[in-house]
Amino acid sequence: MSTHENAYQSTRGAYLLLLPTLAVILAFLYYPTVQTLRLSLYKTFLFGQRSSFVGLDNFATLATSGTYLRSVGLTFLFAAIVVTTTLVVGFAVAFLIYEVTDGKAAYMIAAIWPYALPTAVAGTVFLFLAHPSVGIYTHYIESWFGIEFDWFTSGWQAFVVLAVAAVWKQVGYNVIFMLAAMNKVPASLNEAVELDGVETWRRLVRVYVPLMSPTLVFLVVMNTIYAFFGTFALIDLMTQGGPTNATNFMIYQLFRDAFQFDNLGLASAQSIILFVVVGGLTYVQLRVSDEYAHYGA
Amino acid sequence: MAVDNDTDRRALSDAAAVASRTLTGQPLVHLGLVTAILLMASPLLLAFVMSTQTIPEVYDITNLGIGSDGLSNYVEVLTTYELLGYMVNSLVMSIVVTVGKLAVSLFAALALVYYDFRFKNAVFFLILFTLMFPVPVRIVPLYELMVAWGWSNTLLALTGPYLASATAVFLLRQHFSSIPDSMVEAARLDDVGPLTFLVRVLVPMSRGMITGLGVITFIYAWNQYLWPLIVISDQNKQVVQVGMKYLQSVGNAGQTDWGLIMAGAVLTLLPPLVALIAFRRPLLETFGLQT
Repeated sequence: MSTHENAYQSTRGAYLLLLPTLAVILAFLYYPTVQTLRLSLYKTFLFGQRSSFVGLDNFATLATSGTYLRSVGLTFLFAAIVVTTTLVVGFAVAFLIYEVTDGKAAYMIAAIWPYALPTAVAGTVFLFLAHPSVGIYTHYIESWFGIEFDWFTSGWQAFVVLAVAAVWKQVGYNVIFMLAAMNKVPASLNEAVELDGVETWRRLVRVYVPLMSPTLVFLVVMNTIYAFFGTFALIDLMTQGGPTNATNFMIYQLFRDAFQFDNLGLASAQSIILFVVVGGLTYVQLRVSDEYAHYGA
Repeated sequence: MAVDNDTDRRALSDAAAVASRTLTGQPLVHLGLVTAILLMASPLLLAFVMSTQTIPEVYDITNLGIGSDGLSNYVEVLTTYELLGYMVNSLVMSIVVTVGKLAVSLFAALALVYYDFRFKNAVFFLILFTLMFPVPVRIVPLYELMVAWGWSNTLLALTGPYLASATAVFLLRQHFSSIPDSMVEAARLDDVGPLTFLVRVLVPMSRGMITGLGVITFIYAWNQYLWPLIVISDQNKQVVQVGMKYLQSVGNAGQTDWGLIMAGAVLTLLPPLVALIAFRRPLLETFGLQT
């Protein structure tokens, strides 16, 4: 932090300026997080009206619940698929924009606009276009591949449709950061890579990927958080966790336990588990590189 | 809205150049990009086409022509199905969050960079650490807090929890720190009060960063779904993202009116999309991408 020779000296003035930020983070971020930890040790009943201390019972319940364990497994699988696909597609598109000489500005805006796409819109549009009975995608998938495409009854198909919608919304964000990282690759290295056309892809992996690694780590973390939390609207609008819980990811199970079943203790325990996963990832990301400390929420 | 005309013209002439040169230089690169861009745009283009169709036209699945409903689905969804009201609610929420978050974060960054005070690093860390608390981690007690304070179904609940931002404080702090002391010298701090200094010196010098943060925050706020779903139960006060959910059941004689729903989807996308396009330069620069 740079010190300014003519800095204001008033401690009271400084805290007055910090007061709004501190008030908001203490009331709406720290206090509820601590309360979540406390609630996770209680069992609530009578629709949250009564509660009693049960220690780690909620965690034990989750650890032995087949439904919850399946939800955890599905969530990690979903995140792995969404994160990998988004990174690969984002990298390819970003590299093409990086390479192209004509129309760069137009291509860029045409590739990054899904950054503005509301998840609820992505979900609604895919619900219709891939709808088992009226969807145009369904029509062509069935006639081209000769399979029955009905993700209202097929679990794995619902999983795939959600993943496609999730990737669609997230690619633009990845392209922005990857382009920024590619632009920082020194021109001399770049020429060396271009000399040998046959080996372009191998050198791409050997030269660009290592140089971009802080950005890639950052994007892995952000995409994972997105896959865990940001896809809630997709699930709520498209599958409600079904069919047969095939898309009942952790965030949706938490939502149902908290706001449909009023099982606040159990829901809070799930919040803590999500905190461990996502908080842990964020922590790792901040330790690996603080270059992107600021692009969190 | 201050549209950047230079960039606009450049984008247009770039596009024209591409079209006229018939892709001589890098045919494969252009082919790959056009394919990728069409793939990304196709759901939206299809949604737009279908938004002009009547129910029978939509149910004629392979009919991809502009429908005979014209823009009447748009009028109907805005008025009869009250999307206009949801959009106004979203707009109010997004503007309050954007302006509020920027103001609150500007004050915090001013203190963190231009003040010497005790526990400065601890305070900074306290703000940094909130990155680890996304909404789902604290959702149950946060909701209970809103109920206890009587904030359910109010603008306070929709905006309050979003008003402080580690992201905005960090970016502004970093930006203030990068302003050379010599440029600040003109306004000797002992001569002007901190707020005058902020408004007259720091804000004008941070216009791009503030605009970029503003667009990011506006898009972020407009696209919120989970929190409004939980904390707003009065349909008249709901935001447009959750309004999409209300639309799902719109139909006639067992047939869903997908044309009307697609019109709603297109309208819901428009404000953040327009903001992204109009302010793309400051937005991308805030993300570290020079254009």
